[in-house]
Amino acid sequence: MSINLDQALQTFIVEAHELLQVMEQSLLQLETEPADQGAIGAIFRAAHTIKGSAGLFGLTPVVGFTHIVEDVLDRLRDGSVAVDATLIAVLLKCGDHMLELINVVASRGETLPPAALEREAALREALSRYQAPTHLPETVPQSIQTVDAGAGTSAELLWHISLRFGVEVFRNGMDPLSFLRYLETLGQITQVTTLTETIPALDSWDPESCYLGFEIDLRSTAGHATLNEVFDFVRDDCEVSIEAIHEASDRAVSVASEWDAQAEQGPLTASVQRLPAASEPKTRDGNYVRVNADKLDELINLVGELVIASAGASLLARSCHNDPLQEATSTVSGLVEEILDGALHLRMVPIGDTFNRFRRVVRDISQELGKDIELTISGAETEMDKTVVEKIGDPLMHLLRNAMDHGIESADARRAAGKAGKGHLSLNAYHDSGSIVIEIADDGNGLNRERILEKAQERGLVASGAVLSDQEIYNLIFEPGFSTAEAVTNLSGRGVGMDVVKRNITLLRGTVDLDSRPGQGTVVRIRLPLTLAIINGFLVGIDTSTYVIPLDMVQECIELDVHQRQSSRDQGYLDLRGEVLPLVDLREHFSHEGSAGRRQNVVVVRYAEHKAGLVVDDLLGEFQTVIKPLGKLFGALRGISGSTILGSGAVALILDIPALLNQIVQLEARTAQAPYSPTVVAR
Amino acid sequence: MGAVTTTRQTAVAVDEDAQYLTFMLGGEMFAIGILGIKEIIEYGSLTVVPMMPAFVRGVINLRGAVVPVVDLSARFGRANSAITRRSCVIIIEASTDEGQPQDIGLLVDTVSAVQEIPSTQIEPPPSFGARIRSDFISGMAKVDGKFVIVLDVDNVLSIDEMSSLAEAGQAPALDLDPR
Repeated sequence: MSINLDQALQTFIVEAHELLQVMEQSLLQLETEPADQGAIGAIFRAAHTIKGSAGLFGLTPVVGFTHIVEDVLDRLRDGSVAVDATLIAVLLKCGDHMLELINVVASRGETLPPAALEREAALREALSRYQAPTHLPETVPQSIQTVDAGAGTSAELLWHISLRFGVEVFRNGMDPLSFLRYLETLGQITQVTTLTETIPALDSWDPESCYLGFEIDLRSTAGHATLNEVFDFVRDDCEVSIEAIHEASDRAVSVASEWDAQAEQGPLTASVQRLPAASEPKTRDGNYVRVNADKLDELINLVGELVIASAGASLLARSCHNDPLQEATSTVSGLVEEILDGALHLRMVPIGDTFNRFRRVVRDISQELGKDIELTISGAETEMDKTVVEKIGDPLMHLLRNAMDHGIESADARRAAGKAGKGHLSLNAYHDSGSIVIEIADDGNGLNRERILEKAQERGLVASGAVLSDQEIYNLIFEPGFSTAEAVTNLSGRGVGMDVVKRNITLLRGTVDLDSRPGQGTVVRIRLPLTLAIINGFLVGIDTSTYVIPLDMVQECIELDVHQRQSSRDQGYLDLRGEVLPLVDLREHFSHEGSAGRRQNVVVVRYAEHKAGLVVDDLLGEFQTVIKPLGKLFGALRGISGSTILGSGAVALILDIPALLNQIVQLEARTAQAPYSPTVVAR
Repeated sequence: MGAVTTTRQTAVAVDEDAQYLTFMLGGEMFAIGILGIKEIIEYGSLTVVPMMPAFVRGVINLRGAVVPVVDLSARFGRANSAITRRSCVIIIEASTDEGQPQDIGLLVDTVSAVQEIPSTQIEPPPSFGARIRSDFISGMAKVDGKFVIVLDVDNVLSIDEMSSLAEAGQAPALDLDPR
């Protein structure tokens, strides 16, 4: 049973985290639209649910604090307290504190450290100003239960609750005592009678079954619905009837049928009220199944194997020259591909949750900086791989901080430049041909082109005479060792440079580039693959080995005839319709033994502005492949990002084109003894 | 019966009275403890990984997992093993610093037998003279009157050391990687 309760506690913790996030979002929404009743409702419900569930687990510190918050929210809801900036700031801090409480008390079972208790006292103090005037000042959390009874605004009633627990209650991880305990937080229990007549004789007694029933008299200000909600967790397992003893009108109605109707109507009417108000529908309950991410990964792994196996089967079928068999395998391949798409979709989550987290960040930082900055979010529903979403958070955060700190000017400077005092920051996500683009745009001052160039020349990143395009200059800020140390504040310059941002994005097989207009702002564009598990590859053969080139980097393939071969070998580049195309002989670069085959081909790859031709022996066509990491042993290997298993069972290596090209640039730079310049390979 | 009791006695005395796999490499016999060994497979269909040191022979497909194969002879600083009909790959679970074990294949000439070597028969490694780095040797076992080198698998297959060797081999990538 204790295990079951632990599981329930884990669920509570996860849910509480989600609810707190909802609460935070709604609070921020409320800040922009103070009249948003839907947001107030959502905040109240979040706090209320957390309090309720915490009560079930006997987490008194959480209940105690949340109760006060709920009290204030209740007053906010009925309009006796008006929304203002201070209240929202206090409530945001309360949310943070609740998170801490849940982390400390519920997850680790510890008590709060003194510093947190001090914070709590300060918050209680701040909240008390918004509480009902009749409220008695109190400081000790333990005294809350008694205070509750007196603090209410509505009249106190005597309720009679008949409670019959079902036999399964223990097995479902519920403890009847915790319900009584929770009831105590709602009011004063004047009388409890434990009904034991259903307990069987000792020989047929099952210690894991519950045979208890209670008759409870409760003096409380809470309404029928609130009391009814107490039993939400055991609704299926028990019979409850709640009657107000002093209310004659309520008695006339059959109590049971009344709350049945309420249970059905309550959430419905609530959501109807909410829908027009809330900007995003939050109908996540009921339609979703919580699945462990590991299970999903396992499934996707298996599907990946299935893809490989079915490719193998198709290969065999083709060599058999048996038409019906080929047809059958192609049907299977089609279905497998659909399963693959479906499985990968399971891992897709909308990026909105990550984006919304930044609202708070932007709010806090803009206050810290004394700038007025507004964050606009669009494309929040764009879905991408869970792993990518998790890993993109930090780089995004860094870019946002940078934009707020360096990009957007102070309100005075903005007005002086003829712009509105309020700075705008926008986060946008959209799908674009097989990849996802995230844009971070600000309307600040833009990048200082001259300053960057000067700095880069100072650091030896660019040869002093080199002529670079604006784009190339802006992208220099992603180079390691390049620092905009001109203005180090406590926000940026914390040791995480733009090169780390770029590296993190490159690790996700993504690219980042930057566009800036002096005085008008900067746009950073991050391009990410839809998924990390699978890539569309182009197979090429060198010798007996097979390599995979990511298809989105392949531009075209051309045959290298004998005449061209000789001249290209001498020169190291090729005339591609009047354009100079530098060539990389992969056979030579990878030191494959043996001489080149009779026919050779060039695969033209493009990465950012770099374009190059890879000389290979055979072109083997497109192939959807499951990426298998090569492991730590190959961690230092540049130019190869992973491996995959072909239908034949052989292992093929996946080329990392950006790293490969960079490596070759360095090699050439070294042999030529020239300072490194990013333009060597370009065009 | 007598054998069983002696085994037990030594097991109590030193708990290293374990079984060892003996194999041949360049005409010499070596032994490794069987506890880390997952399986032994025939050598076949290996994919060469370019730009790696000579001792990393390549990768194989082990039932869907990509497993690197280390040429033990090259790891000892000798020439690469010649592939014969009897070449085998011993799959070993190697530990890494992060604690996540990784499978590594060990290419050897022939696999001989699994033998029980009492710890009393294992001598400490000589400080020199074995023509192999001394930290690769965990002891010298006496089998049938001949010395067999018992390898310290953790050091021989130290992923951290091997990957840093691989990095050093990639000289161009050493300085200023612009990514």
